[in-house]
Amino acid sequence: MSVSRRSFFSGLSASLGGMVGAAEAATPELRAPAGGPRWGMVVDTARCIGCQACTVSCIMENAVPEDSFRTIVSTYEVREGDRAAMVMLPRLCNHCEEPPCIPVCPVGATYQRADGIVVVNADACVGCAYCVQACPYDARFINHETQKADKCTFCAHRVDAGLLPGCVESCVGGARIFGDLNDPGSTVSRLLAQNESKVLKPEMETGPRVFYLGLDDAFLGKVEAEPTLWHPSHGQEAQS
Amino acid sequence: MTQRRDVLKAGAAGAGLAAFAAGYSETARRAVEGVAESLAPKPANAAPNIHGRSLAPEVRVDPASGAVTPNPGQQVSYTMCMGCTTFCGVRVRVDKASGRVLRVAGNPYSPLSTDPHLPYATPVRESFAALSRHGEKGLAGRSTACGRGAAVLTQMESPSRILTPLKRVGPRGAGRWEPIPFAQLVHEVVEGGDLFGEGHVEGLRALRSLDPIDPAAPELGPKVNQVALLSSTNEGRENFARRFLQQAFGSINFVGHGAYCGGSYRSGSGAAFGDLRQMPHAKPDLHNAEFVIFCGTAPANAGNPFKRQGWQLAEGRRDGGLHYVVIDPVLGNSDSLAARDRGRWVPIRPATDGALAMAMMRWMIENRRWNEAYLSQPSARAAQQAGEPSFSNATHLVVAEPGHPREGMFLRASDLGLPIEGDRYGAKDGPVAVEAATGALRPAEAMDGPAVLLHDAVAEIGGRPVRLRSAAELLRESAFAHSLEDYAATCGIPAETIAGLAREFTSHGRKAAVNTHGGTMAGNGFANAFALVTLNTLIGNLHWKGGTFQNGGAFPEAGAGPRYDLAKFDGMVQPRGLALSRNNQPYEKSSEFRRKQAAGRAYPAERPWYAASPQLASEWLLSALDGYPYALKALFVWNANPVYGIPGLRAAADAALRDPKRLPLIVAIDPFINETGAYADYIVPDSLLYESWGWAGAWAGVPTRASTARWPVVEPRAAKTEAGEPIGMESFLIACAKAVGLPGFGPAALKDKDGNPHPLERAEDWYLRAGANIAFAGQRPVPDAPDEELELVGLDRLRGLLEGTLRPEEWRKVATVLARGGRYQDAADTYQGERFAGKPVRMLHLYNEQVAAARSALTGRRFAGVPGWTPPAFADGTPMRARHQEAEWPLLLVSQKSVLVNSYAIGADRLRGLKPDNPVAIHPEDAAALGIRSGDRIRIATPGGDAEATAILRRGVMRGVLAVEHGFGHRELGARAHEIGGVRQQQRPGLAAGVNLNDLGIPDPTRPGLSVWLDPVVGTAVRQGLPARIARA
Repeated sequence: MSVSRRSFFSGLSASLGGMVGAAEAATPELRAPAGGPRWGMVVDTARCIGCQACTVSCIMENAVPEDSFRTIVSTYEVREGDRAAMVMLPRLCNHCEEPPCIPVCPVGATYQRADGIVVVNADACVGCAYCVQACPYDARFINHETQKADKCTFCAHRVDAGLLPGCVESCVGGARIFGDLNDPGSTVSRLLAQNESKVLKPEMETGPRVFYLGLDDAFLGKVEAEPTLWHPSHGQEAQS
Repeated sequence: MTQRRDVLKAGAAGAGLAAFAAGYSETARRAVEGVAESLAPKPANAAPNIHGRSLAPEVRVDPASGAVTPNPGQQVSYTMCMGCTTFCGVRVRVDKASGRVLRVAGNPYSPLSTDPHLPYATPVRESFAALSRHGEKGLAGRSTACGRGAAVLTQMESPSRILTPLKRVGPRGAGRWEPIPFAQLVHEVVEGGDLFGEGHVEGLRALRSLDPIDPAAPELGPKVNQVALLSSTNEGRENFARRFLQQAFGSINFVGHGAYCGGSYRSGSGAAFGDLRQMPHAKPDLHNAEFVIFCGTAPANAGNPFKRQGWQLAEGRRDGGLHYVVIDPVLGNSDSLAARDRGRWVPIRPATDGALAMAMMRWMIENRRWNEAYLSQPSARAAQQAGEPSFSNATHLVVAEPGHPREGMFLRASDLGLPIEGDRYGAKDGPVAVEAATGALRPAEAMDGPAVLLHDAVAEIGGRPVRLRSAAELLRESAFAHSLEDYAATCGIPAETIAGLAREFTSHGRKAAVNTHGGTMAGNGFANAFALVTLNTLIGNLHWKGGTFQNGGAFPEAGAGPRYDLAKFDGMVQPRGLALSRNNQPYEKSSEFRRKQAAGRAYPAERPWYAASPQLASEWLLSALDGYPYALKALFVWNANPVYGIPGLRAAADAALRDPKRLPLIVAIDPFINETGAYADYIVPDSLLYESWGWAGAWAGVPTRASTARWPVVEPRAAKTEAGEPIGMESFLIACAKAVGLPGFGPAALKDKDGNPHPLERAEDWYLRAGANIAFAGQRPVPDAPDEELELVGLDRLRGLLEGTLRPEEWRKVATVLARGGRYQDAADTYQGERFAGKPVRMLHLYNEQVAAARSALTGRRFAGVPGWTPPAFADGTPMRARHQEAEWPLLLVSQKSVLVNSYAIGADRLRGLKPDNPVAIHPEDAAALGIRSGDRIRIATPGGDAEATAILRRGVMRGVLAVEHGFGHRELGARAHEIGGVRQQQRPGLAAGVNLNDLGIPDPTRPGLSVWLDPVVGTAVRQGLPARIARA
């Protein structure tokens, strides 16, 4: 099929209409002190080899149930002129500055920590899936084992222990770089200062804090794309 | 986890999800959350439950200070992954309470998982900090597991796993078994008897005879050769199994899986390196290379070491100076649009790599872009003078006089009438070249300056005129046999692209390389691989920074080591005789040859012989079943699966394998019932993954010395022997050896360096002493491990074993090696200036005399000593397309490596969740002609079989190609439910998904008897370029 970058995720995200404003703003858990870190990720796509080590590491680290993914590398075959090539697009929760998933939660179960990580309090979540519908990035799902909303937490349990997210520590190509966006000396800050970066669906104005390097050129204009190699048995991945 | 999910599937199909939720989620929740709670008990006013079922961190690291606080509920052990044949060092997290493995990532000490790896002197505690946010160390120092490596732990709890010895019930292959006690297993295998009510079966005791198999054919060797062991690869335990079969039992027939893995590459490289036994090979230095051609290997899809190459490729194309081309019939992950101009995929017709390589050579020679200065160095001495880390035999002269008794052989010093040491034409009777300075014929090794590169002239030798041609001249002639345009038409790459590749390849000095591997497994694989590797020789890049390099090797564990002699023992047997695959003796020395020669027709032999090859599993099983050169009486299949892995073998061997008269005893040693084990008479459950001991080196791609340790970080799950040892390969072979009374096993079977006896009665007796040899190797042994390190990695569990087995001065050093998951030379030792450090000067071969001297046993014709383009052919040299015309079989099948699945990983459920099937890729224009669309079911037929598959249309395949990803289409491993002790195993249909290309392999119509198509020179399996046709199913 022929798709442009914009329509890459078309069919994945649900309409936002009629779903906004049901809940009061959640009370964030203030773990990080004021002036503390703002966690974010840079995905350097030229370093991604599509090996899915991140995907499987995340599954094992977070007991992600079958047919669901907190992160995955969408892998497409594209044609640009005469050239056929692969495009690897690591996807995960963008931990947005303006997360559209939060205001739709009727019970305040999902909220943003002071360090920017968007989380779900499973004890409060009622599994209504409004947030799943609201996420333009299809980064959330209802965990069919817990019946709760589930998503990437940047491995907050590891980050809080001074470690790195599971997907980052096992990224074979070194494409996933995690760090503190508030610290100008961090690797992520330096990469963003030195490189042109993009976010997914900027027109949604969600302020993603997952930034992509080297992605834009690949999706300029029309490209032929076929999600060839990866066929999850069902779930989030687009079917051609 | 495996169990949980499989029940989910069953539940979903049967009673529905509600039943699942009630029955299993509580167990699963406890299993995982229990760990979290052990770290941080929840207070009454619990914090928001945001971490769900995520694992509790294994350590806490203070980001400011780097202080490490281990989680007392978890064990973090550095050990070895066995998810593929790279055998990476990994860190395994174990829940101490349950003994379950929770997660696997990389070992930062291991160069297979980290680049650069941590200096060996780093304390284990610091190694945890090196992976953390502290100073962002964990970013640059990340140590990874690949997707497969992260997922295979679920196999440990697989419902398909075999944990007790099994004996077949009913006919072979029927899938019915009875569990038997270990003692009964050993008794029956050793003593034989009427074991299955089908007649008498000889046991190991009766088969352990050193009398000749056939007194009329003494070259076959003793009867013990009729007992054989089929292994997979050296995963760290091969030396132990060899000790049993070869040195103790005395059989010559021990074979690995190389002949159906990447054997054509190894043989082609072996020819270029002048060693067809060890088959040395080199890898590109991706850190410093400026231009690399990958042809027949795809560095982000596969390769060994996969992760190290993947990391270096990613880094090189992003931040380094690397440009690369991937030449392959199929576009894999190696080329990414994000790599921009740094990487490019160039499609090529299957099995034509040699045409491309010879075309590049032609261009390089015509344009004088081969490195003439390098190639002109005739000797090690001259190379050293010229500052070259290697040289070649390009200038050495070959006797090219038709009909001369030495035609095709190098002219030797003795031919000039010079005095020599040792035998004429022996190792010290060296080749001759024309000295550039004097124009004189002189022994090459005596020269310390250049020789004439292109030489073709007649000289007076032994009183007669003899035409002499240099190896380079013969290569030039071979390259010029076809025009660039003809080569281009053959391989499907435009001539201007070929010229561009050759120009680029020769524009970076020594900082360019060609890399190949299993993509060469075609009907001309040897020739193609020899040609590709020779491109490296022509630019002289070996052991230059940015060029190619040989592995750093391992610390030797099983030799006559610094602590224990594990190589020799009293009563040891030297195996002799003809190996089953007829690779260690020329046909011309056999009694069959003499018989036939006397009858007036020496050729053809009954079957092909492979004088230039190592043991060939590809030829092995069918030879045994056919009884040529002799039949096997007993076969051990140890974690190997030739029936799945050798193209065409299933169809060729199925009926014969079911017939116990043709091979009376088959014993599989394996934790699962695979496609080969399904034919076994007995199954011995082997250990799995992190349960076992082992010492493995890096296969390639690691320039520094590296030995990876595997040690039981969890308790083995298999049943125990009567003596309390876990049942597995070691306990089984030890018990058999002791029952037969073989030397080399038992209470005083090993000797230390001082000659004192030590027992070999359990696995630890071997592996811990092997570890002592590693710990003490080199000039300085490793330091002692303090108690804290034992505790940090969970070695305290095994402290009694270490202290009880090893000497007081040894055990803490072995503990240091185990604690770090191996012994690794520091990365800082990699280079010395612009060269790789510590590599001896090596001669490369443009002309391989051993190959040139060998004859096809079917035709009597000699093989070419230089690389050249030759189309894929059968054993007698008949081109494949002469038998299977394009009109009837218009397509060519190729096998593609999977980043996640391999021949045994299919049972790891989380991988199947990502990659449940392997749709067969076909070019849209080929598909359009047949009315095939993506998702359609198609029927693929070859001259060897047919199979149904799903089609996927991709621009990323060459026209005329069908691409099949390896690892799918299983019939066993759980895909079929066996009946064990009257209980049916769980049926797991997901494991049968997709198609196995090897089930479509074809026989060789040019040879008699049972056959599969093998490379006509070196006998490696053919899976690239199988003729095929398709139709909508």
